[in-house]
Amino acid sequence: MGLLTLIFSLTGLAYAASCGLFFVHLTRGKESAVRGGTRLLAAAIATHAAYLAGDFLLENRDPTADIYQVLVLLSLLISVAFLLSMRRARLSVLGAFITPIALVLFLSAGLRGSVPPVPEGVRSALLPVHIAVNVLGIVAFALAFATAVAYVIQEKLLRSKQVVGTFQRLPSLDVLDSFGLKLVTIGFPLFTLGMVSGSFWAVKLGGDPTHLTTGQGFAVLAWVFFAGVLLSRAAAGWRGRRAAIGTMLGFLCSLAALGGYLLRSAGGS
Amino acid sequence: MTREIRVYGLSHHGTPVSVRERLASGEHRVIDDLGRLVDGGALDEGVLLSTCNRVEVVATTSDAREARRQVLGYFNQRAAPERVESYVYEYDGLEAVKHLFRVASGLDSMVLGEPQILGQVKEAYATATKVGSTGTLLSRCFDRSFKVAKRVRSETGLAAGNVSISSIACELAEKIFGDLVRRRVLLVGAGKMSEAAARSLTARGAELTVVNRNPERARSLAEACGGRPRPLEALATELAEADVVISSTAKEGYVITHELMQGVVKMRKFRQLFLIDIAVPRDIDPRVDGLRNVFLYDMDDLKRVSHANMSARERAASDAEAIIGQEVAEYGKWLDSLELTPTIVALRNRVREVVLREKDKALPRLGSLDARQAKALNGLCESIVNQLLHAPLTRLKQDSSSGEPGDGMALVEAVQELFALDVDTPGRAAPDPSKSRAAAGERESMAEASSELATAESRARRS
Repeated sequence: MGLLTLIFSLTGLAYAASCGLFFVHLTRGKESAVRGGTRLLAAAIATHAAYLAGDFLLENRDPTADIYQVLVLLSLLISVAFLLSMRRARLSVLGAFITPIALVLFLSAGLRGSVPPVPEGVRSALLPVHIAVNVLGIVAFALAFATAVAYVIQEKLLRSKQVVGTFQRLPSLDVLDSFGLKLVTIGFPLFTLGMVSGSFWAVKLGGDPTHLTTGQGFAVLAWVFFAGVLLSRAAAGWRGRRAAIGTMLGFLCSLAALGGYLLRSAGGS
Repeated sequence: MTREIRVYGLSHHGTPVSVRERLASGEHRVIDDLGRLVDGGALDEGVLLSTCNRVEVVATTSDAREARRQVLGYFNQRAAPERVESYVYEYDGLEAVKHLFRVASGLDSMVLGEPQILGQVKEAYATATKVGSTGTLLSRCFDRSFKVAKRVRSETGLAAGNVSISSIACELAEKIFGDLVRRRVLLVGAGKMSEAAARSLTARGAELTVVNRNPERARSLAEACGGRPRPLEALATELAEADVVISSTAKEGYVITHELMQGVVKMRKFRQLFLIDIAVPRDIDPRVDGLRNVFLYDMDDLKRVSHANMSARERAASDAEAIIGQEVAEYGKWLDSLELTPTIVALRNRVREVVLREKDKALPRLGSLDARQAKALNGLCESIVNQLLHAPLTRLKQDSSSGEPGDGMALVEAVQELFALDVDTPGRAAPDPSKSRAAAGERESMAEASSELATAESRARRS
């Protein structure tokens, strides 16, 4: 087993264990579980960063080399953003929703096949900017998604009068709603910039702006959902369940967009 | 005669409120009563715990019969013309310690696991300390009871989840709104329970508006709770502004109808609204619960939450009892050690006294000794004392620290008997029964005894 494979496996295990502990905290309310989960997540972040650094130094692959590298970077940033925001907003309970996303994105990078590197003609100064803003936007959306899932569960519990027993550590609806909105507000301009830069780049390379690939189609759909969440909030005071569902759909579409790129890369087209 | 901890009390378990209310005392009264009780002579130490649900005297005494007579006399005097003998319960020794630990932990409370009792026990102990009626035994026992209560709270779910309607209302409001500061609470109608819930919410920083059919009643309630009164006609406007609504009117039929709320929800756009219907018959149409961002809880819903939390507390009670069992055993061991330390010190003194006396007798026959020889002789005497006592002292300590509390006391008593040791410990009756308010010097004498014992042990190890 090579060194990078070992680090990759350790990172995956640390994420999985952290995810398990956060789930125990969510369902049983054990404080010791959240402490353990946070420590394991920090350990996963450390080995994750080591994996990226190793990939760069040993394999000479930078984090924007291909879609798989981007996924590795994205999952790392999601974890870091969660760890930082969790301390500020006391939302550790959301770890049960965030860590699975980070884990799945990270593991999907392990599917790496013989991906052809980004052609030289496509590489330009715009590429890292395009990737960076998209990644940062999706990081914010991932946190917003976790917040929205928590909102929907908490609302369901309150409606069904199940206010005793499991899931009692979820934050209040108001906190989840405000935090989710803040995250969408941060992520939306970044994601928009990513889309604009992507279109500009595609046109510059001679692409047809009216023809969308599957990935691009989902990206546009994600943008529409998030724009809808923000606009309806501003215009009609939309909040609560509808906003949460809009956020969830938006994030799932952005994931589907990434999936589209993955498939395209795997297909080599 | 052994001095031991005793508890005499009356509580919500079997004593009617008509008797309990006569016995309940404020702090000033407790100070006077406790002073008189201890001055009575039979109680060496005493703490008087007086709450609306229990009145208890926790005391140490070496004359249980007289102590009982005096405490019952006090209870009867306070409860007159009622007689309290049939209501009074009594515990002694480790059963009394266990009872105190259970009371402090909320296991004996009317509402299982309620936290206020710990504060009341602490207050009773602080008052007794002020009066000067606590000594080694009770100080240790109460200190321990506070730690036990804390352990029970942190290690079991005994105090988890709210069980009172007003606390549950607050908890649910916080699940929706988080911080309640500046949230608007609308109280519709009046009633003790709704008023209590409104007060709990305003205590967390919420702003209160009172709507009542009777403007006078609205004004007086608003003044009492620090809110603003509004006429019933303003109900729709107030509903549009409110975050939490507590309804408790005596009106037949719905006060807040589905049609009214449909209009209100439109005005509110997407803001959440938490409705609490405490009235029976209900004030709020149950169909309202299906409206967007509206959460409706009626009395049955709140009671279900209360019962679920109470069941969880009941499940946690057995864990709490196990903790209390461990802590009582620890306290018992400490009590045993109270007997042991002075016995060891007395035994060592007795043996040393014999050896030194024999040395003094032999000295004239040895002629004049130089400094080195005198030092060697003294060392020899110390060595004899230490080696002679090493095995019995080790056995005594082993016996007292192993097994059940009280097991090692037979050997301690045998040693006291065999060597005619006159041992006075906090766990034993003083030879002179004249009582001081508190055994204030007991801690110091115990500290001295422990320090002497430690020195002797170190000497024995060296030899």
